[in-house]
Amino acid sequence: MAKSYKTVLMMGNPNVGKSALFNRLTGGDAVVSNYPGTTVDYTEGVLIVSGQEYEVIDAPGTYSLEARDAAEGVAVRLLAENPDAAVLIVLDATRVERGLYLVLEVIERGYPVIIALNMIDAARERQIAVDFRMLQKILGAPVVPTSAVSGEGVRDLAEMIRKAQRVDIAKVRARADGQFDEPETGCGLCGGC
Amino acid sequence: MALPAQDRWDLVDAITRRTVITGAYRRNLGDVLGDLTVKPLTGIPVAVAVLYAFWSIFCSFAGDLLTDGFMVKAFDNRWLPWLQGVWPDPASIHYFLFVGDPLAGNCFEAFGVLTSGLFVAIGVVLPAIFIFYLMMAVLEDSGYLPRLAVLTDTVFHRIGLHGYAIVPAILGLGCNVPAVTGIRVLETRKQRFIMMTLLAIFIPCGAQLGVMLEVIPDTMGWVMLFLIIGFGVFGFLLDRIIPGSNPEILVDVPAYHWPLWENVAKKLMNRTKSFLKDAVPFVLLGVLIVNLLYLVGVIDALAVLLEPVFVAWFGVPKETVGPLIAAFLRKDLAVAQLSTIAMTPYQMITAVVLVSIYFPCVATFVVMLQEGWRELLAAVGVLMVTVFVYGGLMHAIGILMGVA
Amino acid sequence: MKKLSELEYGESGVVREICVSQHELNCLGIRVKKQVKMVTRQPIKGPVVVVVDETEIAMGLDIAEGIIIETGTGRS
Repeated sequence: MAKSYKTVLMMGNPNVGKSALFNRLTGGDAVVSNYPGTTVDYTEGVLIVSGQEYEVIDAPGTYSLEARDAAEGVAVRLLAENPDAAVLIVLDATRVERGLYLVLEVIERGYPVIIALNMIDAARERQIAVDFRMLQKILGAPVVPTSAVSGEGVRDLAEMIRKAQRVDIAKVRARADGQFDEPETGCGLCGGC
Repeated sequence: MALPAQDRWDLVDAITRRTVITGAYRRNLGDVLGDLTVKPLTGIPVAVAVLYAFWSIFCSFAGDLLTDGFMVKAFDNRWLPWLQGVWPDPASIHYFLFVGDPLAGNCFEAFGVLTSGLFVAIGVVLPAIFIFYLMMAVLEDSGYLPRLAVLTDTVFHRIGLHGYAIVPAILGLGCNVPAVTGIRVLETRKQRFIMMTLLAIFIPCGAQLGVMLEVIPDTMGWVMLFLIIGFGVFGFLLDRIIPGSNPEILVDVPAYHWPLWENVAKKLMNRTKSFLKDAVPFVLLGVLIVNLLYLVGVIDALAVLLEPVFVAWFGVPKETVGPLIAAFLRKDLAVAQLSTIAMTPYQMITAVVLVSIYFPCVATFVVMLQEGWRELLAAVGVLMVTVFVYGGLMHAIGILMGVA
Repeated sequence: MKKLSELEYGESGVVREICVSQHELNCLGIRVKKQVKMVTRQPIKGPVVVVVDETEIAMGLDIAEGIIIETGTGRS
C-alpha cells in the first residue's frame, strides 16, 4: 500500500503552467500569465480526492535547487520547510530535459515525487513525442500527461498523487542505462499500467 | 545522495534519449511574430506602438468614455445635489465629514466621505483600473512582456538593473503592492533594493494615473516626464552608491499564445474585486481622517509650520500639506484633493510629482516591510533625500524656465 | 570557433565551452554540445537572443561573450 501524503508541494521550472494546474486541482485563484516569474510567492489550496484531503502548495518556478533569485529562494525554502511533503513536479512536455534536472535534484533529497507532464497538447502540436510510460519506468515514480489549459489528465493526476514515490537515484541511473531488473516491486511501483 | 551537477546533466541526457522523440518542427505564425517583435529594427517600433496603444486606450476609455461621459454626470448632477439636499444640518460636524462643503458644485470640491470619497473611488479610479487591468491581463498572457524586457534591457543596464525589471515596473503602474513582491525576480539584493526604491518613489499607480487623467489631463505628460527622468537619474546614482553586483539578463522568452479569454476574465475579476474590497475602504477612510485632522486643526498647524519649506523650497502653496498627508493613505485621493487648491499649472505639476514621490501609500509600505525592514528603512532614507532634492530641483527648473 | 556574441543573424553553431558561470545557462538549455542559433543582437551593447531546442533565450552581452561556439560543423 502506498503511503498517503497530506502536503503536496508543486514545483517546476518557471512558466510551465504550475499555477494553471494548481487552479485546476484546487479551484484556486493563483495568477496565471505567460511569462517566467509570474508566481513570486506561494499559494495554498485544498484538494480532496477519494476521501483524502491534501494541502496543495503552488511554489514559484525554479530551474534548480540552487536559488538564482529571491523567487526561486522561496521555492527552495518551501521544500526545506515541508520535509514530509510529496513533491508534484510539473514538467513542460516541450522541454522535458530542463525540468528533469530539478526532478533528479528533488529525488536525491529523498522526497516522494510524482510528475505531471504538462502542456502535452503543445508538445503534440510541435511534433514532440514523450514516451511517458518509459519515463515512468526509468524514474520509478508516476508520470501523468496533463494539459492545464484543456483540463486533460488533471483528474488522473489527482488520483495518482497518493502514489508519489521515493526513488533511489542509483536505480534511476541504472534504468537509464537500460538495466531494468526490479522484480521485487514490479509494476505496482508506479501504478501507471 | 547528491550527484555532481555534470553527472546529473548526463543522467538527464540519458533519460531524454530514451523518452523524447522530436519530430521536424515547423515554425508557425507565432514564432515569426516572436522574432519580429524582439529584433530591434522591427521590435522597437512595435514596442512604441504597443505602449502608445495601451496609453491611448486607457485615456479614451477610462478618462473620456466612462469617467467624463458617465460618472462625472452621475455624481455631480444627481448624487451630489441629492445628498446635499437630504443630509440634515449643513453646519454640523457630520455634514462636514460625510458631505463636505454644502456649496460645492462638484464632487472633487465637496470633500466629504460620501461625495469625494465615493466619487474618487468608484467614479474615477474604478473605470481607470478596470481598463488598465484588462489590457495588462492581455499583455501578460500573450507573452509580450519578456520581449519588452529584452528591448529595454540596454536602458535598464545603465542603472544597475536589467530588462526584466520592466515586469515589476509595469505591474507597479497598476498597483505598487504586487510589484514590490514581483521584484523577487531580480537576482541580487542590490538590484532588488534599487528597484524597490525606484518603484516606491517614481512609479505612479493605476489609481493615481486615473485621477491625474481626470484632474490634470493637460499637464499629466509633464508629471510623467519628471517621474521618468527622476527614475533614470536616481537609478544611475543609486547604482554608483550601493555596493553589490549587477548580474545581466538571462531569461526564457516564451512563445506567443492567444490570451485565454477565461483567464483574462478571471484575473480582471479578482483584481477588480480586491480593489473594491481593499482600496475603496481606504479611500473613504482617508477622506474621513483628513477631514478629522482639519477639524481639530492639525493640518492648519502643520501648514503654518511647513510653510517655509513648501513655499520657499518647493514653490508650492502651503495648502498642499493636507494632500500630502492624504497621500500616505491613498495617492489617488491626494491628487484629487490637490486639484481643488488654487495653483499655477507649474505649481500643480510640482505638487503632483511631490505627491507621487513622497512616501509610498500605506499598503505599499506594508509589503515593503515584509521584504525586509532594513531595506525599508534604507529606502525611506533615500526617499526623504530624493523628495527634498528633486522637489527643490523642480522648483529651480521652474524658476529658470520662468514658469514657477 | 567564435564567441556566441559574434554569431551573425541566423547563424548556428555548437557550444564548445562555457567560460562564465555555467549553472544558470545549463538550466536554460545552453550546454556543451548543444546547437544554438542567433536570433538578434540588440544595439548599444544590448542583450542577445538565441534559439536552443526551439526555445528563445535572452542573455546579456557579457554572458554571450563567455560562450565559445564552433561554427560550420553542425547540421545547418
